Amino acid sequence: MAVAVTDAVSDVGAARRVSAWHFVRLKLRVMGNNFRGQDWRVGLFAVGAAVGFWLAAFGFSIFAAPGFAGNDQYATLLAAMGGGLLVLCWLLLPLVFFGVDETLDPARFALLPLPRRTLVTGLFTAALVSVPAVAVLLAASGLIFTAGVFGGWPAALTQTVGVLAGLLLCVAAARAVTSGFATMLRSRRVRDLAAVLLAGAAALIAPVQLAATAALQDADWDRLAAVAAVVGWTPFGAPWTMGIEVAQGRVWAAPVKLLITAVTVAALLLWWSRSLESAMIGAASSGRTSTRSPTTGTAVTQLFPRLLGWLPRSRFGALVAREARYWWRDARRRANLITLAVVGLFVPVMLNLGSAGLTGGGGTPESPSPVLATLSMVFVGVLAAATLANQFGFDGSAYATHVVVGVPGAEELRARIAAFSLYLLPLVLVISGVLALLVLGQPGWIGLTAGSLLATFGAGLAINTLLSVLAAYSLPETSNPFAMNSGAGVARSLLAILSLLASAVAAIPMVVAAALLGDVWLWLALPFGAAYGLGAALLGAYLAGDVLDRRQPELLATITPRR
Amino acid sequence: MTAEQHPALALRSLVKRFDAKMAVAGVDLTVPAGSFYGLLGPNGAGKTTTLSMAVGLLRPDAGGAWVLGHDVWADPVRAKQLLGVMPDGVRLFDRLSGAELLAYHGLLRGMDPAVVDQRAAELLDVLALADAGRTLVVDYSAGMKKKIGLACALLHGPRLLVLDEPFEAVDPVSAALIRDILARYVTGGGTVVFSSHVMEVVERLCSHVAILADGAIKRVGTLDEVRGEQTLEQVFVTVVGGRTATGEELAWLSR
Repeated sequence: MAVAVTDAVSDVGAARRVSAWHFVRLKLRVMGNNFRGQDWRVGLFAVGAAVGFWLAAFGFSIFAAPGFAGNDQYATLLAAMGGGLLVLCWLLLPLVFFGVDETLDPARFALLPLPRRTLVTGLFTAALVSVPAVAVLLAASGLIFTAGVFGGWPAALTQTVGVLAGLLLCVAAARAVTSGFATMLRSRRVRDLAAVLLAGAAALIAPVQLAATAALQDADWDRLAAVAAVVGWTPFGAPWTMGIEVAQGRVWAAPVKLLITAVTVAALLLWWSRSLESAMIGAASSGRTSTRSPTTGTAVTQLFPRLLGWLPRSRFGALVAREARYWWRDARRRANLITLAVVGLFVPVMLNLGSAGLTGGGGTPESPSPVLATLSMVFVGVLAAATLANQFGFDGSAYATHVVVGVPGAEELRARIAAFSLYLLPLVLVISGVLALLVLGQPGWIGLTAGSLLATFGAGLAINTLLSVLAAYSLPETSNPFAMNSGAGVARSLLAILSLLASAVAAIPMVVAAALLGDVWLWLALPFGAAYGLGAALLGAYLAGDVLDRRQPELLATITPRR
Repeated sequence: MTAEQHPALALRSLVKRFDAKMAVAGVDLTVPAGSFYGLLGPNGAGKTTTLSMAVGLLRPDAGGAWVLGHDVWADPVRAKQLLGVMPDGVRLFDRLSGAELLAYHGLLRGMDPAVVDQRAAELLDVLALADAGRTLVVDYSAGMKKKIGLACALLHGPRLLVLDEPFEAVDPVSAALIRDILARYVTGGGTVVFSSHVMEVVERLCSHVAILADGAIKRVGTLDEVRGEQTLEQVFVTVVGGRTATGEELAWLSR
């Protein structure tokens, strides 16, 4: 990377201005150099690109559907909702799953005499050069087609501008949110932040429930179209509905919506440039401030957190204690934990509220569905376990310690699972309790929700433990917990999808049982689910441990960041 | 004990290739027990790669390594018990404090908690790290990181210490402390192998020296054998082959 940086600088010369184009070339050069001599990376990139274009074609066909059908009744609905969903995905997915590509790490530019404006526009332009961005462009061009069919070339032209503005919005949102969130997670306020987020999530449940039930009670397409029209005036839908507004004769709406988008993008970029500065200065370091307070107790007592004082003072105990400390002290892991807590609480509540509203009809849910409750728990369990898919990548070269000592693989994996579960099991209880009591209004279902969650979590752990040994990859040593190496992006996405699918398959018995067994299952779900999960996790640790014993040095090589 | 008849470390035709580059091209090395062995070489000579293969961090393409007669790759458990390692350019579990890190290493090695406590306190004291308190290792200075790394390698009382660049980025005070501890360790019957490109340290400390360049051993023997009539630095530059600046180039640097 350093070589490429020098290249670009010498290209520019001392006095010439640096344009965004230089950043794009730099990114392409770094990407190219990363591929050199690593055929598997080229292959992965090709697979990622193919998946991206397949999704783009799918999106295009949806956005272009009103045009093909020749019916513009639902064109606004599709454009506003589809486009809004797109923006939402760009906002949330980097936080939850995929991270952002940091081929150009902002910290590397700290020493160069670049104005912040140049840096932000440059990094932003470089961020546009990516497979997902191209895919969005292709998919959204379906909107141009639709607008063209109904409004001729003026509408099509307007929508072209709209699609480009929408792309800028997506990328700016992803960058600003990850970077801003990363800054917050680094700071000492993080605990407060986590608390606020969780409290906010909990507080939102009641009003959202009322709104969702009310909206879905008399859900019909016209009502939904009215909602879409409103969404079309928010930044989420504005850029995507410009063309159809022109086509339907509201020419004045296009510049206003463009302005809405432009202001949002500008605000996001401003936010990004603020957090960028702290990302450039703050080197990779702990979220804690160093305290020189005198130590209490002996070395061994210090290693074990007070709450975990009951752990055996053995190799297993030490591993668990260290992992437990790391899940909180390492900003990258903590970011994962917090997002998991927020998403894990939100999604099941949303899903089940939707079903309660659809089936209930009277405002209070009458007959909540056990299958849907199980499915939403499967989702949380799968998501939670997927956090461990690259657990060794978190350690990086520090894993060398375990190789030097020769830690037995199965013992290491059991300890890692145990430490993660120390955080996850309380969360599981809270989530299943909230779902059963507050959302479904069925206290008797706690067994069902908790059992499903435990079973999926355990099965997911087994699969992800195996994956973490076989398909680990290195994470960059930057201060951004959401950052990843270029090339690893595709690998990470594929790995995440693979682990999600496999864990979901492993959870099928719980869903089938919930569908077939009826009321008996409400009692059996918890013991069966807990046993199933525990058994699966132990089996996974045993099998993966055997593999780990044989390829410790190879694992170390794959997770050591290239410098 | 039969282990005494074996060399502390034996490397036999170690080979490692990275993509197109031959990093280590058949290294043979015998480190006698009780010696203070310096592995010299310029940057990129293959020192780190060789030492990584010797301690089980990197699987060699060919050849093998033996620690006091125990094959590192076939019988890793026994070999790793006798080994203390301080790798270079590798992070420690640095989000622990110094004391926590030592406790972690000790328990990982299966030591008795009471012994760990006692030795950790002593090591932190001797290495002047006790003042750091609860400061995380990631916030330590470079010299402190080297010292805590050394403490981790020493904690379980190994018979052989393998240190990669122990004096890199260390201030003179810490360097002197590390030198003293290593010298005492060798006097007490231990064996030290370390890599460096600081000639004066090697000349001051080592009983044996090997010069590594381009992935192969160029000179090997006791310090006097290798050095001969010259200084070690002269030998090193001759073996490695360098160039001297004429003063003509980089004229723009002087104003």
